[in-house]
Amino acid sequence: MILSGQEIAAARQRGEIEIEPFYTAQLNPNSYDFCLAPKIIEISPKADQPVEIDVDPNGHLLLPGRLYLGCTSEVIGSANYATTLLGRSSIGRLGLFLNITADLGHCGATSQWTLEMTVVQPLRIYAGMRIGQVAFWMQLGKPTSYSGRYHRDLGPQLNRDRPLSAGLSDDSQRQ
Amino acid sequence: MILSGNEIEKAVAAGKIVIDPFDPARLGPNSYDFSLGNRCKTYTSPELDARLHNETVEREIGDDGLMISPSRLFLVNTHERMGSTHYVPIIRGRSSTGRLGLFIDITADLIDIGSINQWTLQLHSIIPIRIYPGMVIGQVTFWVVKGEIAPYRGKYGDLRSPVGSLSHLDFSQGEDSNSALVDG
Repeated sequence: MILSGQEIAAARQRGEIEIEPFYTAQLNPNSYDFCLAPKIIEISPKADQPVEIDVDPNGHLLLPGRLYLGCTSEVIGSANYATTLLGRSSIGRLGLFLNITADLGHCGATSQWTLEMTVVQPLRIYAGMRIGQVAFWMQLGKPTSYSGRYHRDLGPQLNRDRPLSAGLSDDSQRQ
Repeated sequence: MILSGNEIEKAVAAGKIVIDPFDPARLGPNSYDFSLGNRCKTYTSPELDARLHNETVEREIGDDGLMISPSRLFLVNTHERMGSTHYVPIIRGRSSTGRLGLFIDITADLIDIGSINQWTLQLHSIIPIRIYPGMVIGQVTFWVVKGEIAPYRGKYGDLRSPVGSLSHLDFSQGEDSNSALVDG
């Protein structure tokens, strides 16, 4: 079952959901709108290293063919409900993807969620804009708490798996 | 909980789900296959701005179809008028369209409860693909809600044509003055 907006607010009151800061005006019928934090990381095939960008008040132009890691202004999570992250239709209509088929949050992971942003057409975005939404889901069975590497993250986070090349060399050593 | 196909059919008969036109043959085990409408909007400028009104142009998709190029976004309505005041609809592509590299939404798969209209699909393709009005393009699932329901009263009303983004209204209204429940 997916929580209604009113149930999200009630669960937050009960301490079962964390959303900070929280404004009731950002509640939807079945989700909560979150905002974009000002710092993003650009990953481009043309650059050797990821580049950190502070989105200034005049916005920042996202370009197709690049990956941008942003994060939510809000700290979001729940130990009681599964969380899914999605875009808003207003933003989807502008061609901005907010995640790359990785929309399921881990129950128990509370953080400023990293957004995996990519655009179809060039799009100017702004810090603080309402960019996406989270929905909360009941689960069947005893909750298994998340103890992974992205818990309590603040700010956008790069992938922390070992680089693919390192993994390949490990495999070759084993052989 | 997700509704079974049988339960979707019952809810349509009971008026709890709207799918119009409705064809029982389109029911899957847990979803309903919907088809593509014939009206398409594209943005006139290649460069978009979330804070501004981005001009669109609307065209009718004829029987010869429409080529979806990877570099542009195409907003096309569903043929069916759909929605529910009892269950949350979530849309997705079909594996047949996914195998062609066609996205039908841009990470915006959740439809607000109470939003009943011909939904705007956000079409984006990895490789060029020609699409046709009336083709079966996606599926909708329906989910049970926990908690009291306050239906959608947002900025996209009962509309039949695809609608461009109204994200600029978020900025003009300010962040804290949206007392109404605003949709995605």
